[in-house]
Amino acid sequence: MSTAYPLPSGLSPATVTNTASLIRIVTLALISGAAIASRLFAVINFESIIHEFDPWFNFRATKVLASQGFYEFWNWFDPTAWYPLGRVVGGTIYPGLMATSGVIYNILHALNLPVDIRNICVLLAPGFSALTAWATYMFTKELKDESAGLLAAAFIGIAPGYISRSVAGSYDNEAIAIFLLMFTFYCWIKALKQGSAFFGMLAGVFYFYMVAAWGGYAFITNMIPLHALTLILMGRFTSRLYVGYSSWYAIGTLASMQVPFVGFQPVKTSEHMAALGVFGLLQIIAFAQLVRSHLSSKQFQNLLFVAVIGSGILGSLAIVGLTYKGWIAPWTGRFYSLWDTGYAKKYIPIIASVSEHQPTAWPSFFMDLQLLMFLFPAGVFLCFKQLRDEHVFVIIYAVVGSYFAGVMVRLMLTLTPVVCVSAAVALSTLLDTYIDPVEPLVPEEAAPPASGDDSTTTSASGSKKAKKPAAGPSEPTTAQSTPKPRSRPGIFGLDARLVVIFNAFGMLSFFVFHCTWVTSNAYSSPSVVLASANPDGSQHIIDDFREAYYWLRQNTPETSVVMSWWDYGYQIAGMADRPTLVDNNTWNNTHIATVGKAMSSTEEVAYPILRKHDVDYVLVIFGGLIGYSGDDINKFLWMVRIAQGVWPDEIQEPNYFTPHGEYRVDDQASTTMKNSLMYKMSYYRFAELFGGGQAMDRVRNQAMPKQGPTLDYLDEAFTSENWIVRIFQVKKEDLLGRDLKSANAFSQGKKRKRSKPTTRRRAMV
Amino acid sequence: MILPLVPFLLLSFAAILHAKSSTGDSVLVVLEPSLDQNFSVFFDGLRARGYDLTFRAPKALTPAIIKDDVPSFSHVILFAPETKSFAQDISPQSLVQLLSLRTNLLIALSQKQTPLSSLAAEFSLVLPPPGTPVISHFPERDTPASIFPVDVSASNPILSSTKAPVWYSGISHSLGNNPLLVPILRAPVESFATDSSDDSGAPSIADAAEKGGEGLWAGGNMGLVTGFQATNGARITWVGGVSVFSDEFANKEVIKGKPSGNAAFSQDVAAWTFQETLVLRIDETTHHKVNETTPLSQYTTNDVVTYTAHISGWDSGKATWLPYSGLKDIQLEFTMLDPHVRTALPPVKGSPGTYSTTFRVPDRHGVFKFVIDYKRKGLTALQSSTTVPVVPPRHDGYPRFLSAAWPYYVGAISTSIGFILFSTIWLGGDVREMKKGKTSKTE
Repeated sequence: MSTAYPLPSGLSPATVTNTASLIRIVTLALISGAAIASRLFAVINFESIIHEFDPWFNFRATKVLASQGFYEFWNWFDPTAWYPLGRVVGGTIYPGLMATSGVIYNILHALNLPVDIRNICVLLAPGFSALTAWATYMFTKELKDESAGLLAAAFIGIAPGYISRSVAGSYDNEAIAIFLLMFTFYCWIKALKQGSAFFGMLAGVFYFYMVAAWGGYAFITNMIPLHALTLILMGRFTSRLYVGYSSWYAIGTLASMQVPFVGFQPVKTSEHMAALGVFGLLQIIAFAQLVRSHLSSKQFQNLLFVAVIGSGILGSLAIVGLTYKGWIAPWTGRFYSLWDTGYAKKYIPIIASVSEHQPTAWPSFFMDLQLLMFLFPAGVFLCFKQLRDEHVFVIIYAVVGSYFAGVMVRLMLTLTPVVCVSAAVALSTLLDTYIDPVEPLVPEEAAPPASGDDSTTTSASGSKKAKKPAAGPSEPTTAQSTPKPRSRPGIFGLDARLVVIFNAFGMLSFFVFHCTWVTSNAYSSPSVVLASANPDGSQHIIDDFREAYYWLRQNTPETSVVMSWWDYGYQIAGMADRPTLVDNNTWNNTHIATVGKAMSSTEEVAYPILRKHDVDYVLVIFGGLIGYSGDDINKFLWMVRIAQGVWPDEIQEPNYFTPHGEYRVDDQASTTMKNSLMYKMSYYRFAELFGGGQAMDRVRNQAMPKQGPTLDYLDEAFTSENWIVRIFQVKKEDLLGRDLKSANAFSQGKKRKRSKPTTRRRAMV
Repeated sequence: MILPLVPFLLLSFAAILHAKSSTGDSVLVVLEPSLDQNFSVFFDGLRARGYDLTFRAPKALTPAIIKDDVPSFSHVILFAPETKSFAQDISPQSLVQLLSLRTNLLIALSQKQTPLSSLAAEFSLVLPPPGTPVISHFPERDTPASIFPVDVSASNPILSSTKAPVWYSGISHSLGNNPLLVPILRAPVESFATDSSDDSGAPSIADAAEKGGEGLWAGGNMGLVTGFQATNGARITWVGGVSVFSDEFANKEVIKGKPSGNAAFSQDVAAWTFQETLVLRIDETTHHKVNETTPLSQYTTNDVVTYTAHISGWDSGKATWLPYSGLKDIQLEFTMLDPHVRTALPPVKGSPGTYSTTFRVPDRHGVFKFVIDYKRKGLTALQSSTTVPVVPPRHDGYPRFLSAAWPYYVGAISTSIGFILFSTIWLGGDVREMKKGKTSKTE
């Protein structure tokens, strides 16, 4: 046969296999290293610090777990959160993440490696990203071959869509969840392919781990049944499907019910009904097959007809009835917002107010996936070409994942793995085709060179002795025994190969540059610490948050309650160690609306609310001085909306706009806006800072009036260096029982208006 | 509710000579030099009860009433009703600051407009326009209408030792609706404020009264001497006319042969104002589960909890705090935003000063507070708040076997037994039958 370039000869197959597997292992190790290293920008540019908001709670919970043990953690009631309601932490969290860190911590300490728990938490996500790369490799290997697997592993290792949630310090549930997602899917595919109860059980166990780790487990809960259902509808019901699904569902569901936060949800809520329904359907079909094997076909057809109609009617009646009776909870609001993107804004502003729940903007697909975005459809198409059971899975995953990623920004995360997998399939097919040294043969000679089953050797570095695997690895599947083509299409000559291959490698290296750039610039900011550039280009760190939180920690009594908008609840609890009214675990809308009401009302209205909740300090974020746009004034309308949802008579959103419908903070701002507590706290003494010059709010680009707002019921306690965090102390009731406004006027020496005695005529008549 | 106090008060007055205030004995008297009255009876009475009096004129610079934000005296008497300008250190603001530093004040007013009369407005006292003294034509007597005797309410615990009517001359004031006000002496029902001492303006006053609006400064709702207890426990007393404390009134007879009540009245007022009488405090509060003794840092829902408070009263006779069991209507609240439990906190028999109650913690987790908030006119406000989290039961704190769960137990057990039976039969069954089944399957 003719080859486009010379191949080394005289190598024994064993040598080739061994070298290939060694190279595979080395490559995987390098990929893991790259995955970990690219996530360390945050540590190098800033420091080893927990990022953002939710991770602070996870970190705090992990500290409790590490210091007090699992049972204390399980029974942990946090009296400082949601003051005064408190939070039953053990029953309201997914403990998987903390348990993982706790286990690692204990193992390291048992080995006499005294690692700080914070460093474990910071580095957990990068560590697990290496495991994710491995799991993706395994998954893609089932789909195509090892070379595609390695490509997929490399992609998932550096794809910004996944890095955005797993940089060092981003200690959130997603950090380990994506690994669990991919590994569960791998086990499921394996169970389905082999009809193996072992892999089904393994899928169940990892499903349990996933349930314990992330609320997004519902994705698996619905993906696997959907896949199974599709296979049934395609007429591909096999005993392998039956065994795989049943063992996954039975073990996974029973195990998942052991997580306190999940409890009986798997049998009670609508989100889990699909899995239960498909499980039931599989039993019916398996039973029907058993019956068919014992009955004549005529009898069976009659029986089938009656049974199908009967069970269909009974089943749907049962589900409707149970939902109606309240035994099965209807879909939750978060779930509805997945179907109707306007739903949340209308009915549950608290969900809509979270930026990561917004629909995804088109550029962010490119930002997060770049090259992969274009390879993705090609990979899905190649899946259609083969369409074995696992390819059906990838197709379903691709469709569902794309939809959800389009609805919510944060679900980009679940799309990323399938994009990486399909892109790897597409790219490795391309490379396979063009690296393959075999020149196309003249039609008569037909027979494809070499054996068909040496798929293991085709992989590895790709530039090795690679062969077109189209006929390769599909011996066990019954699905598609593609007839070997008489004449294979192929590439003539080295030049055509080199053009395409260089092009492909060029794109890949651009992809690497893009990922590195995005990771270091966009996704590695802790958001607790901000960075800006000095005029000379050096980095300037803005550390107002920690400055203010440490002020609270060191200057206030431990029991003093801090009120802030819920975004900062976890950070205050984590860094300042003070009780908060509301935090990022937004379980109680009314309590949040209470805070919203206090913030958006006048001082006189807000003061009784503050006193009732024992609030000592109020913390606001103000970016007007240095142009930090994520401040409370920009979030203010959400507070108003959420408060309006509970008190429509007292808080009305239109009152906070100018008559022209503009949202302004300068002297044209509406009276309600100017009198609101939030406005007053944000701009209190702001104009004085400009020493008589024109005060400018740099976020809203508006000129502030010279005469700023005054505060009667609160005292300014602390303002950070760049004015980002301002803390106000709530005054105690007046000594003489006056309202604090007149008390203030008195102490400033203002004359009180003469009052008259109240008439008491009734007593005289 | 005040009545139970009377024995306690009598006890405190038995040893009146050694009386001491609960907050200190130093008294600054700011005395207007132009006052033509003598207050020797009043001041000697104070000295006799152990007070240490220092005098200064309103415009004198020393001794300062407050120095470096520390009050120099425990109590201040301001007998400067007509002074228009005081020394720098005496201003309405500094007087309120004194109160905030727990100094007690006794302030006399006059019918002239002074800084002090504008301060009165901060205490919800509404003063009449300048130059309108209160007068009364009843009862018939030989004094001018602006000097009249006032009967003292026998039930007022502050004036427990005042038995006879009190001569009064000065202004009246109307009381606002501030709950911190403690009326001590009310105006007689026949009295009214007028801007002329003869009766020429009477018809216009009557007209105004008919209209019921402005100018209605008449009747028993007006106060003459009114106390005020600030939220921190400091006391201040406003007196409409300084002459109530004068020797002249103290010696003037109301009825032939019977001395007036002014001397006793002045001492009573001073004793209350200087926190000698009706002073209580909560020494200590404890809580624990019933049948246990150590307080827990958190309680579980439905625990039965005992709460105990120890309350003392100031005994000015012995100049010491003694356990006090006289309060019969204290309530304890167990509060999270709203009171979930509100129960009586009765005194414990045989253990003086101890009040205790036992109740079941509600079936609701959260951060609760044991709250005592006892406020009665004239008495020190008793306030106490202890925060304690109430947590749900631990994971092993629930009953192990639930009767409601029997269907699940039965289901689990029967499935297990069924599985074992099935496996046994399947594995141990006849092999040929299986083959038969297989052959029929292939048909």
